[in-house]
Amino acid sequence: MWRIAGHLTRGLAMIWAVTTFTFVLIRLMPGDPVQVQYERLIAQGMTPDQAESATAITYGFVPHGPMWKQYLEYMWGLAHLDLGVSVESQGVPVADRVFGALPWTVLLVLSGILISFLIGVVLGVVAAMRRSTMVGHGLSIAGSLLHGVPPFVIGIVLAALFTRRWRWFPSGGHFNGDEVSPGFYYDFIGDVAYHAVLPAASFAVASYGGWLLAMRSSVASVLGDDFLLAAELRGLRPFMRFRYLARNAILPLFTVLAISFGLVFGGSIFIERIFNYPGLGMLLYQSIGARDFSMMSGAFLLITAAVIVANILADVLYTVIDPRVRRQA
Amino acid sequence: MNMGVTIAGLTVTYGDLPAVKDVSLRLEDGTITGLVGESGSGKSTLALSLLGHGNIASGSVFIDGVGDMSKMDKGALRAVRGAKIGYVFQAAQNSLNPLLTVGKQLLDLAKSHGVRDVRGAHPLLRRMGLDPDRVLNSYQHELSGGMRQRVGIMFALVLNAHVLVLDEPTTALDMITQANILQIVREVHADRGLTTLIVTHDVGVVAEVASRVAVMYGGRIVECGSTKEVLANPRHPYTRGLINAIPRLTGPVDVAKPLPGTPPTLGTIPAVGCVFRARCPIRMDVCSAQEPEMIDDVACHAVGVTAK
Amino acid sequence: METGPNSLPPPLLRRCKVSAVLRALRRRPSRIAGVVIILLFVFMAVAGPWFYPDRLPYDADNIYAPISWEHPLSTDFEGVDVLALVVTGTRGVMLVAVAAGLVTMVVGTAIGLYAGYRRGRPDSVLMRIADFVLTIPGFPLLIVLTVTIGLGAWWKMALVLGLTGWGGLARAVRSQTLSLRERGFIEAARGLGLPTRHIVTRELLPNVAPYIATNLLVAVTAYIYAQVGLYFLGVLPLDTSNWGVMLNAAVFQSGALISPDALPYLLAPLGAILLLTLGVVLIVDALEEIFNPRLRGS
Repeated sequence: MWRIAGHLTRGLAMIWAVTTFTFVLIRLMPGDPVQVQYERLIAQGMTPDQAESATAITYGFVPHGPMWKQYLEYMWGLAHLDLGVSVESQGVPVADRVFGALPWTVLLVLSGILISFLIGVVLGVVAAMRRSTMVGHGLSIAGSLLHGVPPFVIGIVLAALFTRRWRWFPSGGHFNGDEVSPGFYYDFIGDVAYHAVLPAASFAVASYGGWLLAMRSSVASVLGDDFLLAAELRGLRPFMRFRYLARNAILPLFTVLAISFGLVFGGSIFIERIFNYPGLGMLLYQSIGARDFSMMSGAFLLITAAVIVANILADVLYTVIDPRVRRQA
Repeated sequence: MNMGVTIAGLTVTYGDLPAVKDVSLRLEDGTITGLVGESGSGKSTLALSLLGHGNIASGSVFIDGVGDMSKMDKGALRAVRGAKIGYVFQAAQNSLNPLLTVGKQLLDLAKSHGVRDVRGAHPLLRRMGLDPDRVLNSYQHELSGGMRQRVGIMFALVLNAHVLVLDEPTTALDMITQANILQIVREVHADRGLTTLIVTHDVGVVAEVASRVAVMYGGRIVECGSTKEVLANPRHPYTRGLINAIPRLTGPVDVAKPLPGTPPTLGTIPAVGCVFRARCPIRMDVCSAQEPEMIDDVACHAVGVTAK
Repeated sequence: METGPNSLPPPLLRRCKVSAVLRALRRRPSRIAGVVIILLFVFMAVAGPWFYPDRLPYDADNIYAPISWEHPLSTDFEGVDVLALVVTGTRGVMLVAVAAGLVTMVVGTAIGLYAGYRRGRPDSVLMRIADFVLTIPGFPLLIVLTVTIGLGAWWKMALVLGLTGWGGLARAVRSQTLSLRERGFIEAARGLGLPTRHIVTRELLPNVAPYIATNLLVAVTAYIYAQVGLYFLGVLPLDTSNWGVMLNAAVFQSGALISPDALPYLLAPLGAILLLTLGVVLIVDALEEIFNPRLRGS
């Protein structure tokens, strides 16, 4: 319990640090967009008061006054999930856009991680068992290669093969709005899944190598443990011994899980761009292109927050599975 | 039940190198046999071969009423291990799955052998001075070294095995716990009429519990016999060295003489001649040419000469 | 098993190094291929631009030319030789990546050593910071920085990459330092009355060096890919020639995904990335065996 509380406080502290960081980025860096917009509005003929209130609505803080006051107002707004208003599409609250995009990214990231985890763990066991054979070497090298190649390479290759060379999957979007409308029914879910296959597969292919390598070394170290020999000498059935091995070997992978979330969310920008998928990464990319700073900081904040939350969940999961940690808690 | 063990001409190899070579030994039904030697002498390999584990190159391990462990297929071995013959690890080694409670692992053991009722664990644990309910609900990391060792013995015997192999059961335990464990081994051995092999580097342990003793060096058994006789009147120079190395309670400390030199490792065991000759105080020419045969429970050229 | 070179005192470790490297290379010839690949890329980065004029000649009549001796990898949408683009595109990203790698190495090693050596409060504070750096998704941060502080200048890019990537190295160096401590190196050295500076530079650094080397190699590749990624997305000005610009043009502009003629233009930078990764993987494989013999499949 204390452990989880500790994680929550640490997560909150990190989110606070990141928000402060984005505040500094937007407000204190040269080319401060708030100041720029304020001056532009005045140049367009607004009175300072009008320009000030218009800027304040967009960014959540006024262009004048002491910095600490602006900072407090910004944080106060964030605490109420007020992320300001989009500069590009005037008047649309940033929060609506980013929270609308979040589920699509989560869908891709979660299904991608799940698939890659399963494939990687199974192949990692094979690679560890056949360590000195060609199969083992081949699996390890292929795993490291895919692990080392940046995710956009995988995305480009999959897009080129399966949306252009063979037109098996749609080349973009999250569902076909002409044919299905959102709702909880078979056709819609099927269409969403159909659109998500390639982007999710890109994540999976790009990250399964990491799981494979982690699982391989983990299995190799557990294989040397005495309790497996003991289980064999007690005449335990082979599948039970395999279960002992697998559970003990998978456990350390949950610490890797935490790190992989950051990487996968980061990679979502590429994958969503390549497949034209309207998730958080795509939103971030578009806001960069349009110099839409409020949208940009909102999307960046949410991506970071998602990674931090995923980290905490991974650790809680670890706590539940490992009795050594659980009983101490 | 009559379940002695006969080891005949047993050779166990790692790669090409024999860790146990041409060993013959009889564990009489109902006795405790001590197997002593330094680390690397092959005593653990020999102990494991009793369960058919390891690469048995030649020879046999015949358990009365069970069969030859060296010739069994995987399925038959699995059925015998844990059910007819139990193995207890060194206390420092983690012989329990760290992620499951003792009770859950006990159930896995029972399921593996098609046994439904493992309530026998309760009196067994109580007999060893443990609270069964508490222990069965514990994880490995919640048990002390002495408790783990008792749990190990419980696992070895709960399915009514009649042959018990203990590998360094008291190493890494404090003195009082050591004495406790040895006491327990003696008691359950007597209660259940077991055939017990206790592997140790500690001659004191053998003196305390074993009625028979076998001394191992470089993968060979160099001397065996009844504990009393061997300890009182050691004939092989290695056995004499081992016993002389023990400090006495009375008398000056420097009476204890450590054995000179170091034991051979798997790669440095001489291929021909007596394996002990490099450290032997009474080495003769014949020792480097020919391996001594086991005559009258001792394998030494020098002993052979005086006997003739 | 437990007595690999890592547990030897430092001077012995140094002596076996050369022969260990040779042995690891000979054990699997593929590793030599790895070395060759990396040397090829280094050569391309150092000497590549000397073989070509500053502005590559373009030839509007020869767009997406068939593969020939003159254009072994075809030409792009302006008729520029693709091979020339791949070769000349290496130097810029490589320079930044190596500079960033050095930043990471210095910061990560210093923080890791200090945390592992001092332990206690400085350790926990520094590791919190390292975790923070590790948790922040690096790539989103990078593209946010491209528009806020601007990453056009090579040194800015190198600094930002290096400063966002030291978390993993610091953790690895710290845990290695801690384990050396457990094995009694530091206590022994201090018992001999050696000054701290000596302990850190003579005893600790040589033993941590393998981890730094492996990490540095992986980090430099990651930094190359991060830059290629930025150019690929088009968030950096596309005025220089490099692999990312090529990918951007091929995927988003010229429709190389559709037209088979333009395929070489797409495949060339992809192939370069794959080859570089392969080289790094093979070398890291060899390094791991040299430094951690327990991984050896027997």
